[in-house]
Amino acid sequence: MSLRDGAAARADGAPATPADGALVRCVNVARTFGTGPTAVVAVHDVSCTVPSGARVALMGPSGSGKSTLLHLIAGLDAPTGGTIAWPGLGAGPNGRPGPIGVIFQGPSLIPTLDVTENVALPLLFAGIPAQDAAARASAALDRVGIADLGPKLPEELSGGQAQRAAVARVIAGRPRLILADEPTGQLDHETGGHVISVLLTAAEELGAALIVTTHDAQIAARLPHRWTMRDGGLATRGAGPGDDRRP
Amino acid sequence: MIWIWLHGLIHRRTPRMAAAAAGVAVAVALLACLGAFLAASKATMTARAASGMAVDWQVQVTGGTDPSPVLGAVRADPATRQALLVGFAQTTGLTYTGQTTQTTGSGAVLGLPDAYSRAFPGEIRTLTGSGTGVLLAQQTAANLHAGPGDTISVGRAGMAPARVRVDGVVDLPQADSLFQKVGAPPGSQPSAPPDNVLLLPQALWHQLFDPQARTRPDLVTTQIHIRRSHALPSDPAAAYTAITAAARNLEARTAGGAVVGNNLGAALDSARQDAAYAQILFLFLGLPGAVLAGLLTAAIAGAGATRRRREQALLRTRGASVRQVTRLAAVEAAVVGIAGSVVGLAGAALVGRVAFGSARFGATTATAVAWTAGAAVAGLVIAALTVLVPAHRDARATTVSAGRLTVGRTRAPGWSRYGLDFVLLAAAGAVFAVTGRNGYQLVLAPEGQPTISVSYWAFAGPALLWLGTGLLAWRLYDLLLGPGRRLVGAGLRPLAGGLSGTVAAGMARQRRLLARSIVLLALAVAFAASTATFNSTYRRQAEVDAWLTNGADVTVTESPGASVGPDQARRLAAVPGVKSVEPLQHRFAYVGSDLQDLYGVRPGTIRRATALQDAYFTGGTAEQLTHTLAVRPDSILVSAETVKDFQLRPGDLLNLRLQNGRTKQFTTVPFHYVGVVNEFPTAPKDSFFVANASYVAQKTGSATIGAFLVDTGGQHIASVAHRIRTLLGPTATVTDLATTRRVVGSSLTAVDLAGLTRVELTFALLLAAASGGLVLALGLAERRRTFAIATALGASRRQLRGFVSGEAAALAVGGLVAGAVIGALVSQMLVKVLTGVFDPPPSTPTVPWPYLTALGSITVATLAAVAAAAVRLARRPAVQVLREL
Repeated sequence: MSLRDGAAARADGAPATPADGALVRCVNVARTFGTGPTAVVAVHDVSCTVPSGARVALMGPSGSGKSTLLHLIAGLDAPTGGTIAWPGLGAGPNGRPGPIGVIFQGPSLIPTLDVTENVALPLLFAGIPAQDAAARASAALDRVGIADLGPKLPEELSGGQAQRAAVARVIAGRPRLILADEPTGQLDHETGGHVISVLLTAAEELGAALIVTTHDAQIAARLPHRWTMRDGGLATRGAGPGDDRRP
Repeated sequence: MIWIWLHGLIHRRTPRMAAAAAGVAVAVALLACLGAFLAASKATMTARAASGMAVDWQVQVTGGTDPSPVLGAVRADPATRQALLVGFAQTTGLTYTGQTTQTTGSGAVLGLPDAYSRAFPGEIRTLTGSGTGVLLAQQTAANLHAGPGDTISVGRAGMAPARVRVDGVVDLPQADSLFQKVGAPPGSQPSAPPDNVLLLPQALWHQLFDPQARTRPDLVTTQIHIRRSHALPSDPAAAYTAITAAARNLEARTAGGAVVGNNLGAALDSARQDAAYAQILFLFLGLPGAVLAGLLTAAIAGAGATRRRREQALLRTRGASVRQVTRLAAVEAAVVGIAGSVVGLAGAALVGRVAFGSARFGATTATAVAWTAGAAVAGLVIAALTVLVPAHRDARATTVSAGRLTVGRTRAPGWSRYGLDFVLLAAAGAVFAVTGRNGYQLVLAPEGQPTISVSYWAFAGPALLWLGTGLLAWRLYDLLLGPGRRLVGAGLRPLAGGLSGTVAAGMARQRRLLARSIVLLALAVAFAASTATFNSTYRRQAEVDAWLTNGADVTVTESPGASVGPDQARRLAAVPGVKSVEPLQHRFAYVGSDLQDLYGVRPGTIRRATALQDAYFTGGTAEQLTHTLAVRPDSILVSAETVKDFQLRPGDLLNLRLQNGRTKQFTTVPFHYVGVVNEFPTAPKDSFFVANASYVAQKTGSATIGAFLVDTGGQHIASVAHRIRTLLGPTATVTDLATTRRVVGSSLTAVDLAGLTRVELTFALLLAAASGGLVLALGLAERRRTFAIATALGASRRQLRGFVSGEAAALAVGGLVAGAVIGALVSQMLVKVLTGVFDPPPSTPTVPWPYLTALGSITVATLAAVAAAAVRLARRPAVQVLREL
């Protein structure tokens, strides 16, 4: 797995997008949990490329390996086979790939920090001064339409508000790739739709690629490309309804 | 459902269940250990009281009664081991004519059977000459200037004096009880034994005083001295009751022909006071530890409250009723309580065996069962209060959605809103003031009364102070962590760098929990510090007691009548190991008609060989008053009782009558009263004087020394004493500090305080480390998800360390600072309130720096280890942790 697999660096520290436009390239990637007879193969033999500006709905039944693949692409987990490279993202702080924003399945805000502090936290980790981080956090909250919720604590938010705050946290980091793991899984249909709208808008404004894992066909339909996973493998890769093809 | 829940708890919440059970176990073990302490102490007190008696009973045969039937009745009692007849007669005076003629006032003449010394070996101690035959008491010999071989005249009322030849000079260590007025009501006993005492062989006594018994029967009595079996109940109070009842039984059986002077009963009466003190020590030193262990258990249970509320909310959304939720919590509490109690009792048995030599928790089977049951019940109650009650309260008082809240903007707790901390502090001050008004007398045992009263009320002072300062610390830390979070952030900058503001903000949101943890640690530290301070102060005062009794490392006491000058000091100074020698005059002086000891000291050098504490004096420090003795040689230090009796004011002239060394006549020597002396090395506990030795020598024409105080620098005391004994032979008595330390008895020496404090201090260390480490560990464990999210968001190891170490530092600094302050305050009050336990009372508490350093180090090391482990665990792949939680 190489983090510097790509062209020369951009002004913001990330390398320039390579000629083929690939941000992430997976080759025969596998992830197995445990060893021996109890080992669980979560992902196997996945090869794919995430191009710059992609909008992908990653679909599949529960346990098909969607979240695991997303974590591997985010650099939060390491593959047990194959290679992952981030030619268009380069290396970020702490040995992880460059500007990737992750929205987790379930609540991911830190309960002891208010919403603004939660949104500013990754910026502080990246070494941005506290004042600048707070300003960028406020701007991000404003962008997702919950600026007034800044002083609230996570437990005082509704599920939709919490996911919007999570989106704001991603936006504040100005990522080039946004990975959202079932961001609407615990929301009603309408709220989920709003969250997806916010995500799509944010990705558009940032010029970032977006991968969303979801069970919901209606949500998936709002994204131009759909990948489907089955039993740990990437079964189909398509560019719209009825356009599914073998990966 | 219960079994499924229980199975899940045991398999999924093992560390938390084990930690809560450990908290209960500590409380149970501490209580049970204290039971063992009380049992062991009471048994020791009874045994020592009994073994210290030279004569258990002095049965006085009432006038006109034939002693034989009474002696028969006594010997018929199966508990009687020895019973001998002793004659008591009054002499009109003793006279000895040597170079001059000395005559004493009236005195006592005892007729002792030959077997007396063997039957009652503690009653008579031979100082010089023979141990049998005609024996003079030490002070009488000094008054008469008579010794072995001299013939003295014994005055008899209405009869011609008789002449006897002295065979030896003896000391009567238990003269007070020997010459008691048998059957006298409490408070009417003579204040001191007679000054003039002559012991005669029984046959000679009968020869001299049988005629007088016929003419003046009021001056002659017969006693039966008895040694009894010491198979007594181990509790001093029960032993006292038993021996008192036995005495009354004898009086009843002799139909008024005998009155029992119950020396053993009196000793047990004193021992039951010690037992009451032991009970007080249990309250003062032990109960806070048990309360602390309960609080620790509550904190452990409380650390999982968020999770528990979430689980309860989940159960209720699935349809569980409040009753069902409560029942599940009751099962958890029962498991924690039973496991904790069993482990605690087993631990206590082990500790009891190691520290007190007994694995029993009580002196009798009944008390052992009571202590075991009591400790186990306490464990169950703690488990119920800390696990069941909060769960039940949450289940009843919170909604399902509220149950899922984790942080919340809660109101200040009720105690804070109503200022309970200030109320408790005010109450502590009030109780302390009231206790001080009666001189901190905690144990009142009216002489001869079967009941004993203990002022447990005094315990409220330190207890309220402990709680009040704890709550005040809670309030202050709540303010510091909340409104003062910028200050906290600035303080955390060295640890958390640019994240310090965020770390402080996080701590502010959970300040209730954090402040509670800090206060728990502070209370544990304060408990450890105050217990250690009490212990070291007690030990120092016991050492001071030994010093006061012996005077110096080694003390050479010259025989009565010996005429040894200060030059002897040079001879002693030449003995290897001796650093310095201080001669100390010992005279007897009359103030009015009172005879008191007078010590003549060299003011410039006295402090080289013996430690003089400021607490020994009133009206100036030790240095100031010895300086006064030096610059004004006719100045004198007087006991407080004498000052009161004679209405003395500083500067008053005090004329004493001292014996002139040349003429042997008592002559008046003028002194000026300059200060009060309460204690002085080698001096008795009652009244005495301290004066300038040169002045005394000049005015009495004699520089005779009574004792030499030998300083060995605390090294090789026993061997130096042995060398001096070899050098001087039988001419002087040589005592050393090491022996005195073992023998000397303050009232509580019988209490095995060393064992108690060893257990206490170990528990205190354990509680302090657990209060810090365990609470921090559980708190951090609860936030594993937070750390996993932080890692997923890009936090480096250093940044995670900043989060964790910020909290650990706040806990350590806050807990140790507040603990030190509370500990210092409680120690001051504890030492003051327990004045009666110390002999002599201390002027200031002794700070046990090594223990306190160890306490601080262990607490900090535990917190650092927990923080390091938390950071290491936080490095696990974030997605794995998030998946597990």
